[in-house]
This record gives sequence, structure tokens and C-alpha cells, in this order.
Amino acid sequence: MGVPTTTTDNTTISLKTSRKQTTSHRIALGDVTQNNMGQLKRLNSVLFPVHYTDRFYKDVLEVGEFAKLVYFNDACVGGVCCRKEPIAGTSPEQLKLYIMTLGVLAPYRNLGLGTALLKHILEHVHAINSSQNHPKFIEVYLHVQMSNNEAISFYKKYDFDIVGTIEGYYKKITPPDAYILSKKLLVE
Amino acid sequence: MKGLFLNHMDRKEEAHELVRKGLSNDVKGSHQGSYKGSHICWHVYGLLHRSDKNYGQALKCYTHALKIDKDSQLQLLSLKPNNQKYWIGLAISYHLQKNHETAENVLTTYEGTLKEKPTPLDFEHGEMLMYRNLIIEESGDIQRALENLESIKDKVCDKRSWKEKKAQFLLNLEKYQEAEQAYRELIDLNPDCYEYFEGLHKSQKINTRELNEEQQVEFLKTYKELATKYSRSNAIKRFPLQYTAGENFKKAVDEYLQSALRKGVPSLFVNVKKLYDDPEKATIIESLVEGYLESLKKYETFTYNGTEVDLKEPPTAYLWTLYFLAQHYDYKRDTIKALQLINEAIEHTPTMVELYMTKGRILKHGGDVCEAMKAMNEGRELDLQDRFINSKCTKYMLRNGQITEAEKTIGLFTRGDAPDPITDLIDMQCMWFELEEGECYLRQNKFGRSLKRFHQIEKHFADITDDQFDFHSYCLRKVTLRAYLSMLRLEDRLRSHPYYFRAAQNAIKIYLTLYDNPSVTAVSEDDSNFANMTEGEIKKAKSKAKKAAAKAQQEAESKKAQQEEQAKKKVSEKPRDEDPEGDKFVKTTDPLGEAFKFYQPLQELSPKRIETHLLGFEIYLRKKRYLLALRSLIQAHSINSNNSTLHQDIIRFEKAVASDTSINPIVAKVVAEQLSIIHSQNIPLPDFNNEFLGRNKGSIPHLLVAAESLLLIDPSYKQEAEDLLLKIIDNEEYAGTRTLPICINVYESIKKTFNSRAEQFRLKCKDWFPIATYFRETN
Repeated sequence: MGVPTTTTDNTTISLKTSRKQTTSHRIALGDVTQNNMGQLKRLNSVLFPVHYTDRFYKDVLEVGEFAKLVYFNDACVGGVCCRKEPIAGTSPEQLKLYIMTLGVLAPYRNLGLGTALLKHILEHVHAINSSQNHPKFIEVYLHVQMSNNEAISFYKKYDFDIVGTIEGYYKKITPPDAYILSKKLLVE
Repeated sequence: MKGLFLNHMDRKEEAHELVRKGLSNDVKGSHQGSYKGSHICWHVYGLLHRSDKNYGQALKCYTHALKIDKDSQLQLLSLKPNNQKYWIGLAISYHLQKNHETAENVLTTYEGTLKEKPTPLDFEHGEMLMYRNLIIEESGDIQRALENLESIKDKVCDKRSWKEKKAQFLLNLEKYQEAEQAYRELIDLNPDCYEYFEGLHKSQKINTRELNEEQQVEFLKTYKELATKYSRSNAIKRFPLQYTAGENFKKAVDEYLQSALRKGVPSLFVNVKKLYDDPEKATIIESLVEGYLESLKKYETFTYNGTEVDLKEPPTAYLWTLYFLAQHYDYKRDTIKALQLINEAIEHTPTMVELYMTKGRILKHGGDVCEAMKAMNEGRELDLQDRFINSKCTKYMLRNGQITEAEKTIGLFTRGDAPDPITDLIDMQCMWFELEEGECYLRQNKFGRSLKRFHQIEKHFADITDDQFDFHSYCLRKVTLRAYLSMLRLEDRLRSHPYYFRAAQNAIKIYLTLYDNPSVTAVSEDDSNFANMTEGEIKKAKSKAKKAAAKAQQEAESKKAQQEEQAKKKVSEKPRDEDPEGDKFVKTTDPLGEAFKFYQPLQELSPKRIETHLLGFEIYLRKKRYLLALRSLIQAHSINSNNSTLHQDIIRFEKAVASDTSINPIVAKVVAEQLSIIHSQNIPLPDFNNEFLGRNKGSIPHLLVAAESLLLIDPSYKQEAEDLLLKIIDNEEYAGTRTLPICINVYESIKKTFNSRAEQFRLKCKDWFPIATYFRETN
């Protein structure tokens, strides 16, 4: 598995043991469309130290439920973008899901928004796997900067495991090394 | 008849010719014998004029037809007594002539002729009965209107209007207890209608404007009760804020603000801004919300009493608090503080469109339209579906002089099948855009294009007037009579609309400029643009213009290619704009006449606005119609004797009259007599000016006018005038009126007439308005 050259990836969410309770707490997910793409771009530009190309955003429009924005009290504060990757040489064809970005704005962390995004993705993977006539996903995976403990424990909570390390994965940030986090899926 | 056919086949001239011929034959016939002549011929001629929108002529023809065929409305009635359209038409005619009694009788008689009793839920019948009730009400006999209302209760479908009328009548008749009951029923129907609460208080004989402290407590208690009953009503929460003060107000507003900030109500500031009329309330609100911000930052709660609680306020509460405070300080024109707050909000949640709009507004108020436009555009790009910000952004582009960009942006939301955005906007009568674009052209001295837009707005108002003809028969048929009547009354006052006023004001000013400097029409546009620039700037601007022109040409060419393609697709294209520059307006031989056309409706419909009379004065003065000019001044004086422009106009008027040697002695005599109303003759002009200044201590607009007037009275007062103006620099008593627009005016005036100390003034302005581009260094 090589390092993607056009995109890098990141996860910016936070995890504390107790989730915050607030007086007004409405969470909703929304589609990414041509019209609100500006919001996704703005989110990514402040959440991740990486510039994503136009190609990235064009692909995002194609993945349907695998790209989502999350709203807290009607403010757009986070999002997730994934990519479907066919596994070469499988028959019938099998897929992996790669989480390219998943992040929530700093003031809105610890409110259950990252969980809402990740749960949506996992549920959708499950829905596809239980439908007929669609290639099955056998794995969901992503990269995390080695020092990002919060993200690592967040994914571990949802049964992701560290399955590998890539040295020098990140070009402009330190530490430059990344873990590969993966969740294997059972397919009948 | 043949004439009518021809008319519909677009052969207008032939049609007119033919009908005229028919008429003259007819008239000849009537001279010869007992034959009276046919009303039909006249009627046809009238129809023809009507289709040409020549209503004056049409009316003449119809009247003529009527003369021959008298009492047609009555006759129509006698022919077809069961056609309700004719009955109602007759009633309305009487009503509009204020003959209430006959109007009412007509409808009652009509009701009597109905063979079949209308079913209880017959909407049209119910509307007619409510209309008859309105006639009775307007006759002034409220007691009888109330009785009538009760008698038709079961037959009216529009129950809400019926109840509103009942409550209103009871109140008018001072039957307070019953009125209170009626208003409570209405509140139950809609607990968010302010009028019902006002009615309720009137019926309780509570003067909401003068509540003492005890009454306020009582008042708040009433609303607490209402609030528990109607928990979703915002009006019930908002209403008490208007009529309480001090501690009572503080308690109520505290609760109101917290709940809205928690919920995330973007319009909160706009909603409470009205309370700022009372400076005490503004201070209370400021200290409360500043307190929230601090507490939210540290403890994530609105207030902190020493112990941390588990239930926190959401991060959005902090965001909306920042947003509120940014608007608050913008309102106080503390630009730097407002910017700092809105930037913090944007950093907190950079996806919120509203924040960018507010940032744009703050920058605009601070005097940096270019940055303001950029902020708006940044917000627009976040949500391309948001039509509101798209329009706002367009407006800001026009404020920044970027017409091509603006047209492209607004074009994102115009109809796709229109030949171009502008055509569609004109079809849709989108007047805010035309006004803004017209004003944009005006700032660039492109008078023709500017006038074109303002004339366009005049045409929209003419079209709206024309459109009412569609309703005459429609409303009678559908029996929506109360609405019809209010429409007729609206049409009579149509051009009192603020949009018309703004367009007319601008158009008049341009025509006055054209009259004063006929040469500007000859000067090419580029040159007039460069009048105020240095050489370096001109060079820059010219090369920029060249590039722009090249680009425009390129665009025009590609557009042309596109259009040609389109034209191939569509055979019947809209006629092309023959005069894109609006030359025909600029080249008018009678600018004052054109100005007068815009002025007339203002004079008739907006006589309470002082600007109307000041504009009238400008026109009459140039026409040397001194009596009319003086009349305008006197009218303006009766509206606001202290108006700064008026003061200067009086002096200009006296100078003009004094220097006109050919003035008719009778006119001069009347002028001298009448002038004393606004300027007593035994006070010499310099004293008149000093008095004016003394009356308006601390006001920069008045100071500016006084200084300029001083020069007008005697140019040798230059030094005194300049000293006067520069008092603004270190005299703090002027801080209250020190707004950006007026300081720009002062600076322009100093630069133009005095110059020597303009730089000193500019530097001071830079301190006062730190982000205003206007006062930045000029090289």
C-alpha cells in the first residue's frame, strides 16, 4: 500500500472520558453538495495542515453517503470524507473504505460529533454489505499522525487497531510518521 | 370593428385611421338627423387608446360614449339585475365618492334581489357583507357598524377579520370590558400579533408608555401568565422589554437575551436594536452581554455564582454572543472593537455565513468598501444556494464600483432562459439592483447609464399603475372587495414609495448637474473620471481602463458569438438595447423639464419629506420662478426650520433675487414680504448665519453649512470660515455628530475652498476612522 501523493489524511477529533452536557444540543448530518462545498473546504483548511486539491473535492461529490457534514445547533462544524478502494485481484470484487478526513472544529469537540460521523460511515458500510448485488467492504482504514493520541484512542473505542506504521508519511509536519488504523469487517 | 382587428395585428396606425373614419361618418350622420350617433364607435376608439396605454384619451372617448348612452351602469343593472358584478361596481363607485349611504343601499337592495339564499359558507357573499360593513364603518357610525357586524356573523367566512373588526369597534365605542375579552380571544388565535397586545392594553386602559415601577411589575406579571399559556410566542417575551425600565427591564431582558443566545437566533441584535433608542437600555444590554462573554469563556455558562455546574451552555452560545457584541459595537461605530469580535467569531466557527455578512457591514461602516466586498464574497462562497447573501454581495460589489462582477454575481440567480441577467432583473422589476447600479454609475460620473436606471424605475411605477386595470374586473368577479379597495387606495399613493423617492432624488440631481454644466455631456467619460486625479494616478487608471476595455471587448466578442448561437436557436429575440449609454437622457434639451417630471409626484405624495421641497427649490431657482422657489423654502421651513441645507438655500435665494436685475417689481415685493416668514429682514445675513450657528452648537453638519454660507455671504471671510471648520479637530463637543460621511464632506470642502490645512484635518480623520480608505495617504 503506497502513500497517496495527491492527498494526505488526518483525523481531528477529541476524546475525553466524559462527554459534555449542554443546554441546547441538536446534532444533524447533511450531504455535501456543489453549493455547500465552500463550507467543507473552509473546514478542511482550518482542521488539517494539508491543502486538498480540486480533484479531492470533485471525488467527494461522487461518494454519496461516504461524505457528510455535521451540524451542531445548525452550525456546520465538522465533516468526513471517504474513498472507496477496489481490492485488485478479488472475485467477486471486494472493497476497502479509506477515511481521508474526519474532523470537528476545536470548540465543538467532546460533544459526540466525531462519533456521529464515524457511526454514520460504519452504519452505511454495514447497510451496503447487507444489500444484494454490491461489492462488499472487508475493511475500513485510515492514517493517523503518530503523536495524535486523542484520535488513536477515539478509533480504538470503535474497534480500530494499529496494523502498521509508515515513516515519513507527512511532508510538512512533525512527527512525520503515521500509524495505519484498520477495522476488519466480517462478510458472510 | 375592422379597426380593432387591425390593432391586434400590430398595425396600429391603420387601425386608428379606420376608427377615426368610422367616427367621422357617425358624427356626420348625427348632425343630419335625429340619430344621436352610436356610443359603440366611441367605445371602440376608447378601447384602442386603452391598448396603447393612452388612458387620458381613452377616458375622453368613454365619457363621450357614455354621454350618448347615458346611465349605462344603471342601465346595465336594469337589463341584468342578477349579475352581481354590476351591483358591486355601482356600490364601489358611490363609496369612492364618499357617498356611503347610497353605496350601502345598493348592496342591501342587491342582497334583497337574491332569489336563492346563499349557503352559510358562501365565501363571496361573506366578503360582500364585510365590504358593506366597511362602508358603514367609514361612514363614521361605529355603533351601527358593530350592530351590522353582529347581524352578519354567521354568514362571514373570514372569521379572523370579523373578530378583529369587532374588537376594534368595541374599543372605539369605549366598551372596554367587552373589548378586552375580544382581544384575548384574538391573542388565543395568534399570540404573535403585536396589534392584539396593543389592543388588549388599550382596552385595559393601560398607558404602556408611562408605567411606574409598580405598574411595570404588574405588567410583567400579566405577561408571565400569558407566557405560560402561550409558551411559543416571541411577541409575549419581547413586548414587555419595550415598556419597562431600570431593574425590571434588566431582569426581563436578561432572560430574553440568554434564551435567544442559547437557542441561536441570528436576528437577535436587529430585534433588540430598537430598544437602543433609550441609552440606559443600551448600557444595560452592553454590560449584560459583556458579562455573558466573559463567563462563557471561563465557565461555559452565562453567569457564574461561584460553583461550577455540570450542564454547560453550548459552544454556539459563545459564538452568538460574539456575533451580538460585534453588531453592538458596530452600532456604536467602534469599528476596531467590532472587527476584533467578529474575527474571533469567524475563527471560532469559520463556516457561518452570517458572520461574514456582519464583517462586511462593519467594514462598510468603517469606510473600507473594498474589504467589505471581499468579506461578503467570502461568505457567499460558503453557501452558493443562499440568495440573500448573493444579493448582498452584489450590492457591495456595486458599492465598490465593480459593475461587471456585480452583474455576473446577480446573474447566478436570474432566470437561465433570459437573454442576460439585466433584462431579467428589469422584467422582474428588481428595483434595489437598478437603484444601486444607477448610483454606482453616478459615482463614476456616467450620467447617461445612471439616468437610464432611474428612468427604468419610473417606468416600473408606471407599469404597476397600468397593472391595476387587470384587477378591476377580476376583483369584482371574485368579490375580494376589501382588498380591492385597499389596492385602489395604494395606487393613489404609489409614488410615495421610498424606492421612487430615491430614484427621483438622484435623477433630479443629475438633471440639475446637466443644466448647470451643459459641457459634461460633451466631455468624454474617461476625462470626467480623471478630473480629481494626479498624473500618476491617471496613467495607472488609463492602463487599467485599457486592460479592462480589452477584456470587455474579448468578453463582448465571446458573448456575441454566444448570442449569435442563441439567436439561431430562437427566432424571435428580444429587441436589442439601442442606447446602452443612455445618451438620449443626457442629451435632453430640457433637463429642468425632465427633473420636474420626477419632482411632481414627490410634491404631491411626499410633501412631508423636507428633501422634496429642497429639490423643488433647486428646480424653481434655476427656472427663476422665485415665488415658487420661496414657497418651497417656506414649506421646508415648516417641516424643520433648523435644517442645514435649508439655511444655505435661504442665503442662496436672497443672493439670487438681489442680483437679478430683471426681476418683476411685483414679484420682488411679494418675495420681500413672504421671506420674512423664514428670515426677518432686519437681521443682516452675517448675523443670520451666526444665530444659526449658535442654535446648533456641537453639530458638524450645521457648522459646515455655516462656514460655507459665510463664504457665500462674503468671500473675504475665508480665514474665519476655515477657522470655524477646523474647530472640529480639537473640540470634543463635536464628537457626537462626528460620522464618517459628514467628515468626508468637511474634508472635501476644506480641500476645495481652503486647502491650506486640509492635511491637518485628514490626519485627524485617520485617527477617528482608522480603516476608512478615504483618509489614507494620497501620493
